[in-house]
Amino acid sequence: MSKSDQDIPTIKLNETHKDNLIYTLYEKLGSISSNRVNLNLHNLFLSCKIIREIIRTINKADINLNIVSSNIRETLVSLSALGYPTHLYLSNNQFSEIKSEKSGIIPNESDGSMVYFHQGTLRSGEDLEDDKDILLLGDINPGAKIKSAGNILIWGRLRGIAHAGSKGNKKSKIVALELRPLQLRIGSEIARGPEEKPQPGLAEEALIKSGKIIIQPANIRPFL
Amino acid sequence: MSTNTRIILICSGKGGVGKTTLTANLGIALARQGVQTAVLDADFGLRNLDLLLGLENRIIYTAQEVLEESCRLEQALVKHKQEPNLALLPAGNPRMLEWLKPDDMQRIVAMLTKEFEYVLIDCPAGVEDGFKNAVSAAKEAIVVTNPEVSAVRDADRVIGLLNTNQVKPIQLVLNRVRPKMMASQEMLSVEDVTDILALPLLGLVLEDEQVIVSTNRGEPLTLSGSDSPAARCYSNIAKRIQGEDIPLIDPSKEGTGITDKLRRLMQTKIF
Repeated sequence: MSKSDQDIPTIKLNETHKDNLIYTLYEKLGSISSNRVNLNLHNLFLSCKIIREIIRTINKADINLNIVSSNIRETLVSLSALGYPTHLYLSNNQFSEIKSEKSGIIPNESDGSMVYFHQGTLRSGEDLEDDKDILLLGDINPGAKIKSAGNILIWGRLRGIAHAGSKGNKKSKIVALELRPLQLRIGSEIARGPEEKPQPGLAEEALIKSGKIIIQPANIRPFL
Repeated sequence: MSTNTRIILICSGKGGVGKTTLTANLGIALARQGVQTAVLDADFGLRNLDLLLGLENRIIYTAQEVLEESCRLEQALVKHKQEPNLALLPAGNPRMLEWLKPDDMQRIVAMLTKEFEYVLIDCPAGVEDGFKNAVSAAKEAIVVTNPEVSAVRDADRVIGLLNTNQVKPIQLVLNRVRPKMMASQEMLSVEDVTDILALPLLGLVLEDEQVIVSTNRGEPLTLSGSDSPAARCYSNIAKRIQGEDIPLIDPSKEGTGITDKLRRLMQTKIF
């Protein structure tokens, strides 16, 4: 962190402010004289909807958001998706947790549907299949396969096989931070993965356009 | 001693990448460092560990007889001639493939832990019954792979299976590294391999013709204290297992020094 970063004040919010989050934030903003602010969200589990509201409140006070830290991964994933720089810090007991695999079902705030969440890398020979949208935190190695009746979002590298819309939904998408699959399938369409390496740091998505699977820079709105 | 015994499975998935060679050389190297080491050949259908160690003609009993109580464990253990700290236990007779079950494996290993500080299990290739038996007794694992796509793919599969069997830590040994081919990008680089497998690298082993010579003689390279490239790599791995902090070799800098060139010249046979 450079010296100029240290001069930026930090607003801290945590679980105890959950019920009147925006009001507390509004009050705290009143005492800020700088035009940039860092946000520490501690253990708050926030959806994109609330985060957008937080950002609107901050911007209304003519202040720009600098960096956001939290120890909740999901909150930071939402923030990164909205394009804000984030910082994950972990308390000691969380290190063991982040290493181990886990999966579960989390709600998608925007439309009330459910998302299947899996943390951990799928290695060669391993399969993951679900009827819901799948959010995977980890890589899909060559030889592994992921299959969903809905969309697939991979917060990691896709180097195996992904099949979205396995029950025939042709509007399904496959999104990955590094899209380098062996094979892509959407609905009943099948495509081989691209030969060349994708540009690093650019998330891409695969979808069907005029009957063919194409790859383009990602627009992850359907998940948020 | 029993609770501190390190039970290390040496596996790869793919055959021929150097599991048995690594087991033999590590066994000797650890024994030379003065630790009581047992090597267990779990690949009893196609057993070669005894050949590599030069102990083939000394095998009288196997773990099978020990479990049937027709002999004592001490009788089945084959002590190495030059390295008395090392003992080999063949798991079974190549003609009796069906008898061994995961329970049996656990019982054998439990017996070995009473006498030894290290138990190295030489795992058979594949992920079928032989692998499952071997995994059931192991606490930690070393995955051996070569810088080839097929070997890395199989290693990845094996790592997934080790994870589901709660074997950890799992470390990686990259075998048969050819620095020149890596430099010219004809071979997967160290980064390519670790990028996919995402395991801590325990060591690299350089490709070395001396390995073939030593295998045929039944004298592992680490035994003669040879200074060949692979021998150095094997002893470094043994030291790292023991917790010594030895830096990994850099393949791009291997074989360029004057001593390396001289050694290569001296090993070249003129006629």
